[in-house]
Amino acid sequence: MSTECPLSPEVFTTKDFRSSLKPIWCPGCGDYGVVTAIYRALATIKRPPHEIAFISGIGCSSRIPGYTTAYGFNTVHGRALPIAQGIKMANPDLLVLVAGGDGDGFSIGGGHVPHAIRRNPDLTYIVMDNQIYGLTKGQLSPTSPRGKKTSSSVYGSMEDPVNPLLYVLAYGAGFVAQGVPADMEGLAKMIEEAIRYPGFAFVNVQSPCITYGDADTQLKTQRMRMRKLEAEGHDATNRLRAMELAQEYGRTLYTGVFYRNPNPPPTYESQIRERQQNLRGETMALEQLLSRKSTDDENLTAS
Amino acid sequence: MARKLMKGNEVIAAAAINAGCRYFFGYPITPQNEIPEYMARELPKVGGVYVQAESEVAAINMVYGAAGAGARVLTSSSSPGISLMQEGISYIAGAELPCVLVNIMRAGPGLGGVQPSQADYFQATKGGGHGDYHVLVLAPANLQEAADLTQSAFDLADRYRNPVMVLADGMIGQLMEPVELLPARPAVDLPPKDWATTGTATSGGRRRVINSLYLYPDQLEQHVHALYAKYAAMEHAEVRYELHQCDDAEVVIVAYGTTSRIARSAIEKCRRLGLRVGLLRPITLYPFPFAAFEQVIARTQAFLVVEMSMGQMLDDVKIAVAGRKPISFYGRTGGIVPTPEEVVKQVQALLGGGP
Ligand SMILES: Cc1ncc(C[n+]2csc(CCOP(=O)(O)OP(=O)(O)O)c2C)c(N)n1
Ligand code: SF4
Ligand SMILES: [Mg+2]
Repeated sequence: MSTECPLSPEVFTTKDFRSSLKPIWCPGCGDYGVVTAIYRALATIKRPPHEIAFISGIGCSSRIPGYTTAYGFNTVHGRALPIAQGIKMANPDLLVLVAGGDGDGFSIGGGHVPHAIRRNPDLTYIVMDNQIYGLTKGQLSPTSPRGKKTSSSVYGSMEDPVNPLLYVLAYGAGFVAQGVPADMEGLAKMIEEAIRYPGFAFVNVQSPCITYGDADTQLKTQRMRMRKLEAEGHDATNRLRAMELAQEYGRTLYTGVFYRNPNPPPTYESQIRERQQNLRGETMALEQLLSRKSTDDENLTAS
Repeated sequence: MARKLMKGNEVIAAAAINAGCRYFFGYPITPQNEIPEYMARELPKVGGVYVQAESEVAAINMVYGAAGAGARVLTSSSSPGISLMQEGISYIAGAELPCVLVNIMRAGPGLGGVQPSQADYFQATKGGGHGDYHVLVLAPANLQEAADLTQSAFDLADRYRNPVMVLADGMIGQLMEPVELLPARPAVDLPPKDWATTGTATSGGRRRVINSLYLYPDQLEQHVHALYAKYAAMEHAEVRYELHQCDDAEVVIVAYGTTSRIARSAIEKCRRLGLRVGLLRPITLYPFPFAAFEQVIARTQAFLVVEMSMGQMLDDVKIAVAGRKPISFYGRTGGIVPTPEEVVKQVQALLGGGP
């Protein structure tokens, strides 16, 4: 759990989480808003930067760890979640943030998402969903709407988009939210809540690509299109209702928390700790293990 | 067709369509995106299919499927994406299916950079994935050659029922040169695809199964021997190389692709300085032109291998030269293309002369 470490007596401000690196995103890119929201959320969490590991894949959005003072890991396209799980298992006391693009998370890395969710490590996964491949200059993404024309779908795409919200809800993610940089306060708050949730938490940010994205996804239109779930009276403990609302992805721009499991199940790390403690008495001495008879060895290697 | 000014990546894509390729599966990656984009635009016009897959893993397995169905199929990527395809390439080679792969190399390892490199030589020529197999590797040095080699890649793949790779780099991919694309003429003597899963109607009711699994070691050994008989046939019939100004050369530069272009300029400069330098340019990297070295080894004093890597083809040159003459190496890496002047300096150091 991210709150297991003793809290620092220091008081943090957003400045403590802002690195000296100047972002090289295009002016007007939604990802600027996302990183600002992350600074704000982290300032309220009260964990010093050195206790935070920020993991990303590859893409414009995946540059984000570099713009924070947290320990960073710009990894492999599509593999941020497995790498983050490795980090969390090796050092469960770290607060682990994972971020990346829609392509990174739901195309090349899509196969990893269900497995991360069903293990339930205490991670916060933030996807900057711009419905396009930004870094490689504007190809179709798994969340691009059907019919979308891009350099790699010249006559319009013939595929339905992935619905990231429904996807993670279906596999049982304990915390699912959607935000927009146009509503900075709301975005910062939901990232903070995601971090505080003890288990796998997912935040889909509709973060517009100003260079290759559609006009109706930009910040200005977001302000007009967004509908706050809170104002709609949505009960975030109702998973079925959350799934119903999530079906509106691509049509109605709902923002806020879709689902928060009121009874968070144990995290993978806490289960590992428990297992280790239970087995401590039974653990074989290393010498004993190494000097086992060959029949045992055969059993061990028969698989 | 008249000569037309084209970009390297587009030349490869156009040549593939010209050769009868109708299926393309890929995933975006710099610096080869013009290939899939050309295919996305042009393939549907000729009754073909272009799919942007969800990853390179999916793309190579779509290639596996289409190749198994008897189609002429292409995928292209750049280094990290090609790494991800290696499992599929091993299966395709094991199942003896024809397909063409393009690797527009960028600098590694890992994510590396997007600038040109030749550091995937080992991966391309020595198998790349698991098991005993080879991919036939063609390395164009100019765009006309890129067109011609891409077209013959499809014939070679069909002839040997084996993946064929066109190996170039970001510099060739982005280069503009005039090219003449000749209309497609699949070789007339290609074996029929009597193994393809085209439905029993064409197989006389016999079931066709595509497979790379052989659970009995003696059968698998037999299968691998059969693969190696094909590689021996390639080594016999398909080796391609170019010798340039080697007749009197005291130093023979060995380079392929982009670095061979640099070497050519360096040789021109060397010749003006009175230095007798030639070029041995492998065009097939697998099979490697070992025998070509016999034509120059008697006269040359030394070989100079130039690569955009830390020395990968160098190993094959060592095998070819077998200790008979000294070999020196000049490599740049990280995405840096060596300059002709740098190469001239290396030659001067070798010949003991210099201004
Ligand atoms: C194995 C592999 N394939 C392809 C790429 C090229 N690549 C880098 S980022 C990216 C997709 C970017 O889109 P997204 O994940 O949506 O991030 P964005 O740039 O839009 O933020 C691709 C295809 C790569 N780096 N590695
Ligand atoms: S290309 Fe798009 S996603 Fe990438 S930095 Fe520019 S605006 Fe942002
Ligand atoms: Mg994107």
